Amino acid sequence: MELLTLLIVLLLSLGAGLLVQWLPMRHQPIATYPQRAPFLGGGTPDSHAWSRYHVRYYPMTLLLIAFEMEMMFMYPWAVVFVEKGMMAVMEMGMFLAILSVGIVYAWREGVFKWQ
Amino acid sequence: MLLSELFLPVLMVMFMLTVGAYVVAVLDRLIAGAFGAPQAGRVWLAPMARGAWLMTQHANATEAPDWQAWRLAPALYLALAAIGLAVVPWSESLVATDLVTSVVLWGSVEALATVVIFLHGWSANALLALIGGYRYVALGLSYILISMFVLIGVALPAESLQFTQVVASQEALWNVIRQPLGLPLFLIVGLGMTFWGPLNLADSKDLAGGTASEISGPPRLVWDVARAAMLVAFSGVAASAFLGGWMGPWLPGPLWMAIKMLAVLLVLLLLGRVLPRIAPERCVTLMWVVLLPLSFIDLVWAGIGALL
Repeated sequence: MELLTLLIVLLLSLGAGLLVQWLPMRHQPIATYPQRAPFLGGGTPDSHAWSRYHVRYYPMTLLLIAFEMEMMFMYPWAVVFVEKGMMAVMEMGMFLAILSVGIVYAWREGVFKWQ
Repeated sequence: MLLSELFLPVLMVMFMLTVGAYVVAVLDRLIAGAFGAPQAGRVWLAPMARGAWLMTQHANATEAPDWQAWRLAPALYLALAAIGLAVVPWSESLVATDLVTSVVLWGSVEALATVVIFLHGWSANALLALIGGYRYVALGLSYILISMFVLIGVALPAESLQFTQVVASQEALWNVIRQPLGLPLFLIVGLGMTFWGPLNLADSKDLAGGTASEISGPPRLVWDVARAAMLVAFSGVAASAFLGGWMGPWLPGPLWMAIKMLAVLLVLLLLGRVLPRIAPERCVTLMWVVLLPLSFIDLVWAGIGALL
């Protein structure tokens, strides 16, 4: 029942968001091409904006994947934490320590510099 | 049964979505007015006037946008805010959807927000919007870990991933005192999630509006409302995770919750007006090297506190 409520909330809010855009805009004429030039501070575009682009923070996103996998273990771990006591502390502590070495290494390599 | 379990929760979320966004708009104008910004018209009417004006304005278009994605992104962001509001508990029994895994659901809302905001920047097919989108991804991927560790920290003493249980575990002492690092770190996440104030890297002025630089009229209205609603959803989560949710003397639970949410909103909006925007190239280093280790410390602190 809760998931059904959630689904209805999702669909209704999504529908409302689309309706508020669609209703006033359905009779609007679309602008002419000269008006539709993307804003570039007065310049005109030579190409699509979707051209290939080097994202300099790419290694950081790889590091994130390691941590995101760790989060998957961490959710169930949080529920049994008090029950398992010190064992849970040691296990997650070791796991986090290993991942932290990764952060330190990435830091030294300049991954977080974004230049 | 259908009425109480389906209709009323949905109505409650929709009500919060609209009223919350309006309250954010009013509060932000009041704070701006207190700092001496000129006000056009009444503070209470100005958000509605702007909303109505945006509804009648012509919607901008670029030469070759990804139409579906461009119209979908603001609506999706609004839907994410609605889902966030749905898991916020107003009292022990007054919760729209009392999922057993509501903390995980909120975590996924945060993760999907990054996708939706990037989609918004990407779909316009304009350079400045795209740069805003790329910037946001760097910020979003950096703050999400901090948020997760801080939220796991509040789940530890509750022994549950349910927000009602998290609130119930703060009967003796609120998490804001028990885990002092938690709330400040989480507030930074909130500013990041709604790209508000100092962490407004996606829609910043130096990009002429960033991901929102090419939208006007109704799409801009939805985008602005969605951002404000997301801020409300975040303040609800922060109030229940750290400020004891519905707990408090004398007044009824939902009223306490509203007061605490307003307090969080006020702090966030004030920070948004006072702090300067941080340089985007510095924010990744700041998040990973300074704030992430701090969230580790918060987690260890929470763990020790839960075991003692």
